[in-house]
Amino acid sequence: MIVPVGVVLALSGVLFGIGVFGFLARRNIILMLISVEIMLNAVNLSLAGFSRHLDNPRGQILALFVIAVAAAEAGVGLGLVIALNRNKPGAGVADLTQLKW
Amino acid sequence: MTFPAAQAIFYYMAAASVVSAMLAVTRKNPVHSMLWILSLFMHVAGIFLLLSAEFLAAVQIIVYAGAILIFYLFVLMLLDLPGEEARPRFGRHWPVAAVGAMGLVVLAWLAQIQTLDSTQVGVASAPPHVAAEDPALGSLSGVGTALFGPFALPFEMASLILLAAIVGAVVLARRKAGS
Repeated sequence: MIVPVGVVLALSGVLFGIGVFGFLARRNIILMLISVEIMLNAVNLSLAGFSRHLDNPRGQILALFVIAVAAAEAGVGLGLVIALNRNKPGAGVADLTQLKW
Repeated sequence: MTFPAAQAIFYYMAAASVVSAMLAVTRKNPVHSMLWILSLFMHVAGIFLLLSAEFLAAVQIIVYAGAILIFYLFVLMLLDLPGEEARPRFGRHWPVAAVGAMGLVVLAWLAQIQTLDSTQVGVASAPPHVAAEDPALGSLSGVGTALFGPFALPFEMASLILLAAIVGAVVLARRKAGS
């Protein structure tokens, strides 16, 4: 492996932390969802790094399924954003304080 | 992949993906954030290539950068973009978020350095070789054989998940009759 596996893990950890910060701090729903995608990419990096380190293809197969589930989650999440925008145009995350309105 | 510049290229991709992610979560304009996310996806695909995950790199570009990101951009166009830009980017609690994120990363790092330092990593995880001749790691034939062999059930379940997501997105986003 061209770099020690610890470097790949450190990169994955840093990217995951950036995704967590983006999810917790941003006020726009779509940017929160994108931060989830950053976190999922970080996990995929870690999976691919270990797959290479242990010479086992399972890590890459799991990363493939993570990408598929991320696509499904993006679809449903953005469908929710569209429905939200239709009922309450311009709503930010801070405005969503009630379960039903 | 052991050509001489591989290490330098890896460190460039790593640095570029971290910088892209940091810029993506801090931009005022949401469209600029999306473009930095595109840069992140591309550099992560490059790292996959360097880690012998060629099929994963291709899927990353096609699905993540080519479908998911475009989908996000479509929905972003529904927003009132000048209004979004005028509002503050972060909630008032953002230092708490930064400290929390850094704490999580530090905790994860401390939790794994114990196991990585031990020399038992390779022994306990010898993969069960299915065939006498194993295809190269990350090659298309290897991934395809795995997806139609040992991982056939998760493969079918993934298609079910995608079907459920499609139906859910259509139901959520359509206009209800009479509303």
